[in-house]
Amino acid sequence: MSSKAEMLAALKSVALPEHPMPAIEIAPRLDDLIGQYEASLKACGGTLIKDNAMEALQSQVASLVAEGKQVISRVDAVAGNREVPSDPHALKDINYAVISGQLGVAENGSIWVTEDLAGIRIAPFICENLMLVLKAEDVVANMHQALAKISLDNTGFGVFIAGPSKTADIEQALVIGAHGACTLNVYLI
Amino acid sequence: MSQAQTSAGHADKADIFCKDEARVDWHSKALWLLRQKRDRAAAAVPEWEELRTLGSEIKLHTLTHLPQYLEQFEANCQKNGIIVHWAKDGDEHNRIVHEILSQHQVKKLVKSKSMLTEECHLNPYLESKGIEVIDTDLGERIIQLNKQPPSHIVVPAIHLKKEEVGQLFHEKIGTEAGASDPTYLTRAARAHLREQFLTADAGMTGVNMGIAEEGAIVVCTNEGNADMGCNLPKLTLHSMGIDKLIPNKAAASVLLRTLARNAIGQLITTYSSFYHGPKPGGEMHIIIVDNGRSEMLQDKLLAESLKCIRCGGCMNTCPVYRRSGGYSYNYFIPGPIGIAVGSKHDDTNTIPWACTLCGSCTYVCPTKVPLHNIIAYQRRLKAEAGKLPYGKAGYMPMVGKVMSSPTLLNCAMSVARFSLRYLPGSLLKPFAGAWGKYRELPKAPASSFEAWYKKNRSK
Repeated sequence: MSSKAEMLAALKSVALPEHPMPAIEIAPRLDDLIGQYEASLKACGGTLIKDNAMEALQSQVASLVAEGKQVISRVDAVAGNREVPSDPHALKDINYAVISGQLGVAENGSIWVTEDLAGIRIAPFICENLMLVLKAEDVVANMHQALAKISLDNTGFGVFIAGPSKTADIEQALVIGAHGACTLNVYLI
Repeated sequence: MSQAQTSAGHADKADIFCKDEARVDWHSKALWLLRQKRDRAAAAVPEWEELRTLGSEIKLHTLTHLPQYLEQFEANCQKNGIIVHWAKDGDEHNRIVHEILSQHQVKKLVKSKSMLTEECHLNPYLESKGIEVIDTDLGERIIQLNKQPPSHIVVPAIHLKKEEVGQLFHEKIGTEAGASDPTYLTRAARAHLREQFLTADAGMTGVNMGIAEEGAIVVCTNEGNADMGCNLPKLTLHSMGIDKLIPNKAAASVLLRTLARNAIGQLITTYSSFYHGPKPGGEMHIIIVDNGRSEMLQDKLLAESLKCIRCGGCMNTCPVYRRSGGYSYNYFIPGPIGIAVGSKHDDTNTIPWACTLCGSCTYVCPTKVPLHNIIAYQRRLKAEAGKLPYGKAGYMPMVGKVMSSPTLLNCAMSVARFSLRYLPGSLLKPFAGAWGKYRELPKAPASSFEAWYKKNRSK
């Protein structure tokens, strides 16, 4: 008998009584979604830019490029100076990545980013600094709403990103910038 | 570690940890801080108790329908181009991993934190086959360089001070001598590990959740190490215990709301990644592991320990764990959940007694695992198997006899009251054994409870 068959056979009897799947009905908190989102993002160590965000992003990226920083942009209206490669290792020197998020979650400040939107899976992680663009109407209240909205069908990878990468593994001291991006700016348009 | 360090019982190992009183205080406070953060995070969610109930019910539902969900999970994974393997036990898991790695001539594997691979002793196995294994979570990397197992499942190097990490990094990765600033050390580790990510032939992670309806797995980290490890090399592997399965995305939404809040008071982990297919031109493997879980499911109470989502909240609140350290438990998972799932493997038979049965663990658990009930039950199982720890096996049956006979008990109690009243403490203290080591003897009451009750309450 294969291991699979053995394992499934062993699981045929379970001492627990059969349990139904519960209905998940939690009322979302809908007041001031953007305000909630901003507070959550701040708690995660990220920064929200909401005044003339697209212009701010464009001029920021233009000056970064002028400084000679390596910028990859997946947002049409923003011009970077690097292309998306087929080999992820080629992005090891990327300073900034500009990517669109599909939706934001007010209760925790996270943004759903997919492989499609990032162009290549490694992009939001390997860059030193991450800039995400989010539409104000795409902010939802909680994870229940968020997961109901996203689809896992057309792309092999998606990630909720909440702030820059961080760790507290040395004496619980919070350090921003572990292996992923060291800063996260969210441009709300 | 569970195999090597089994000579000393929990109390003996805790004694070693307790020798450095300042460190014990520091350790206890550091973990209590996490408990306080957890309380604040939980209190900020009005539906917190509802989420705990939902978490428990989702897990109970999945655990009682595992065959159907496992098959659904496998079919959907395969539809997404993921290669699925089944492993009855740790040995089979390790063999499968090695086979995949050797087929691809992998020399260096970057791994993100996975308690399951610890459980299977994967690292030493792969190293014995000539494969370099790099743990990439900062805490895991620290203890890997220090040649230690994790002392906590969420903050594995919580037992080390920054000066000790500084010294270790100075020796191993060339940081400045005497430097102990956490930001400096973290940045040095970032640079060191980035080299490893960029030169690895394969990446490997554990699994926080497997979603049956989607053929997807969810991996949660704050550092981004799982994603750096998996999204650079072509080949990725993920080890998943059968208990990590959930039916659908809606179920994931519940657990993602409680996991990080209950672990360290964070709203959500920085990265909650959904892997549901290999990267273009890449290869993705999932190894589904039993290793004793189906056996636990045959016991009504032990089965509930499989609801655990490994947030570590029970350790942070446990008064015994905080004061005895992770290495005093003879199992690679310490604290209350470690006792619940690891007692069977503890050949000193002492860890079920590393508990005051205060119930704090059960109170904080995000999926309502009845931890203190399971721990009390583990004591019963040890007694029934004739495996009471040294000492207890001798006197517990006598205590049982005395307590079940009113005459014997009354007689013993009157002797005790007489002795406490008239004999010197120095003579009596030795009879109190370990209990008396840190405590004063009680004052003898004027009469027995029975006599008092007869006089005041009867009729």
